[in-house]
Amino acid sequence: MPAIKNWYKTVYQRLFHLDDRLLLIIAGSIAGICSGLAAVVLRLSLESVLEWLHPFRHYGWAFIFPAVGALLSSFYLEKIAREGAGHGVPEVIYSVSRYGGLLRFRSSYSRLISSFLTIGSGGSAGPEAPVVMSGSAIGSSIAKFLSLNDRQRITLVGCGTAGAIASIFNAPIAGLVFSIEVILGEWKFVNIIPIAIAAVAGAQVSQAIIPERVLFFHQPFQVGFPDVLACLCLAVVTAMISVLFTKVLRQTGKIAKKSAFPLWGRAFIGGCTVGIIGMFMPVVLAEGYSFIQSMISGTFSMGLFLAFVAVFAKIFATAMTLGWGGSGGIFAPCLLIGSLTGIVFHKMLFALFPTVGCASEGAYALLGMTGIISGVMQAPLTGIFLIVEITGGYETILPLIVVSSISSTMSHYIEPASFYFKELIERGQFLRPGTDARILSDLNIRELIETEFVTVSENMVFRKFIELLKTSGQNFFPVIEDGSDEYKGMIQISGIRRYALDPGMYDMIFLNQIMDTEVITASLENDLQEVLDMMDINNMDSIPIVENDQFIGMISKTRVLDLYRRELIVQTSVH
Amino acid sequence: MELSVFDLSKHLGVAPNTIERWIRQGKLPVSKKGTNYRFQSNELSKWALRNNINLDLTDKETPEKIQESNIALSDAVQNGGVYCNIKGNDVNSVLKACLEKISEIPDDFKADLLERLIEREKALSTGIGKGIAIPHPREQLSYLKHPMISVCFLDQPVDYKALDNQPVSVLFFIFCPVLKLHLHLLSVLSFCLRDSRFTGFLKSNPDPIALIEKIKILQKANPI
Repeated sequence: MPAIKNWYKTVYQRLFHLDDRLLLIIAGSIAGICSGLAAVVLRLSLESVLEWLHPFRHYGWAFIFPAVGALLSSFYLEKIAREGAGHGVPEVIYSVSRYGGLLRFRSSYSRLISSFLTIGSGGSAGPEAPVVMSGSAIGSSIAKFLSLNDRQRITLVGCGTAGAIASIFNAPIAGLVFSIEVILGEWKFVNIIPIAIAAVAGAQVSQAIIPERVLFFHQPFQVGFPDVLACLCLAVVTAMISVLFTKVLRQTGKIAKKSAFPLWGRAFIGGCTVGIIGMFMPVVLAEGYSFIQSMISGTFSMGLFLAFVAVFAKIFATAMTLGWGGSGGIFAPCLLIGSLTGIVFHKMLFALFPTVGCASEGAYALLGMTGIISGVMQAPLTGIFLIVEITGGYETILPLIVVSSISSTMSHYIEPASFYFKELIERGQFLRPGTDARILSDLNIRELIETEFVTVSENMVFRKFIELLKTSGQNFFPVIEDGSDEYKGMIQISGIRRYALDPGMYDMIFLNQIMDTEVITASLENDLQEVLDMMDINNMDSIPIVENDQFIGMISKTRVLDLYRRELIVQTSVH
Repeated sequence: MELSVFDLSKHLGVAPNTIERWIRQGKLPVSKKGTNYRFQSNELSKWALRNNINLDLTDKETPEKIQESNIALSDAVQNGGVYCNIKGNDVNSVLKACLEKISEIPDDFKADLLERLIEREKALSTGIGKGIAIPHPREQLSYLKHPMISVCFLDQPVDYKALDNQPVSVLFFIFCPVLKLHLHLLSVLSFCLRDSRFTGFLKSNPDPIALIEKIKILQKANPI
């Protein structure tokens, strides 16, 4: 045994400590494979449970399915997994930016189970975000197992995410792009290679288990010049719809939070609503891949009006599922809403200009999907590559780019924060690498505080203080109470100049008569952003830190600038 | 509302050069009118919000300097009064005798005030030399309406443990409702007492009116 242990140690050190890129590539591909497997498992089990439930769908009481599913899902998350509802992507982003990608191992399966319950029963949500959460938790757990540092862990979280997306859509490049564009937020050389490999590994896993090569099969499209013009209008429409979708999602969430129902009750009500809508319009139920497929291949049967209504029904159903306590993502709903929008647009185009030879409905469904994905996530590259890859065709790339860029730009203009980031920005947790917010949140008060201060007693005679001043370089003197050492106030040299130049005062006053008791103080609990704001508002260059009535030290702007600069250099350095 | 580069530099607290550099680097929402750059306030507010910058575009009225409610030394002496022929042969008895005479202090507070004065003398003598002392309590007396200085001339000089070991014959009591005025009066008084002509004048046991007149003259010559 010791021999093996030694051998393992040598190999480990030789291989991995020499160059951590190799380690990251190997660990990353493992993360990709594991998260790919998780994605495949969720996709297959969803398919089979939906298949199994299908015969019951036409019964009148079937509307209860999504309700029970959402109820079980929220019960599971709250009581057993003890995790918050929601889709999990903001949590992953926050963890990457704040805690070096630290996620609980539990997260790697909890979201799979809860979203399986929600979506399998017919709730309108997508399996992608849960898979992203699970993939990134797998990556994080692998990093923990190998006891890697934060930077390497973040890369592995990216690998897990990429593997998951690559596997569920069978789209490796989309996995890579999503992981870097949305989750990590920085394009770094050291990240790209392991993540690309993880994405390919994830896609390979999915291909090996699920035989069909692309998620949505389609006939080649003929895209002509009139289509590019039409795309301009379609892009505007998709931008509007995506802003609407984002707003409705957030608003329903807020309404649900205000309602007096318990968590499971909310999920039940949301599920019932979705079930009732689904009775009349089955297209809103579950993740809707089969409907997307039928829209792309042009066999979708709804008329113009119905499809138009279905867009809003799906938006509402998704909001009711996710906002009211169900578990799942918005990726698949985006795709469905997008393809419905595309179809509606195509039908209207056809009604208005029957003679113009534009491409088929399927092509517009694709373009609509790109528009919504780019608009909601404001991640144009993810939108383009995802659609190109899941349909396996490059012939629509020009209109795809047009729609994607216009849609993301317009929705960015109306709503500057994307769906994933909005929540984080509101909570002040959007901390992209190299930004001011990130650096301020990384530096904490304890790192900045200067504690080398001579304190003076409140009963010190001014003459003694002047003696002290002669030999001291200090500009601030904290005044403390005799005996208890309790902080009483500050003496700032600039504030006592008129007394210090008047020898007649030396024996007449004590320090507690000239100390400034109205100085704003901060405590160790404050974060740096708050402390700096306090200093800005009150025009201070230094602020005393007082904890439990004890003077701890001071924070000065000069010191902050020094450390801030050093932190910026370290954080933005090329590894 | 439209703003110029200069206005914005004032609001943001940066140099106009910085604003110009930001315009050049494309960081600010700016429109060009002829050769001048103009900013729209609503766009600026949006920009500030997005970038997490504190920007207050409302016109800041420069806060009026709070007039330091200083009081002239002569007024304080008028408030406090001048008392002569006070008897006593040590610090405590002198202080007690003085307090009894000073009519502006409400009788109920006199016992407490005496204790505080004695306590202050114990901590450090307020005798500043040349036969003069400035007794005062360390805490301010919030029950007083006005700051006041009571001048008391002693019958016989007493040993006050002053810095120069000279016995003290003139006491300047400082009683103030707020610390700020106390420090002000203390500083003005100590300035006056450095004037040897004034201390010499005090030795001559002047009458109250003459004393206040003398202080007024000193004040005029050295406005603090």
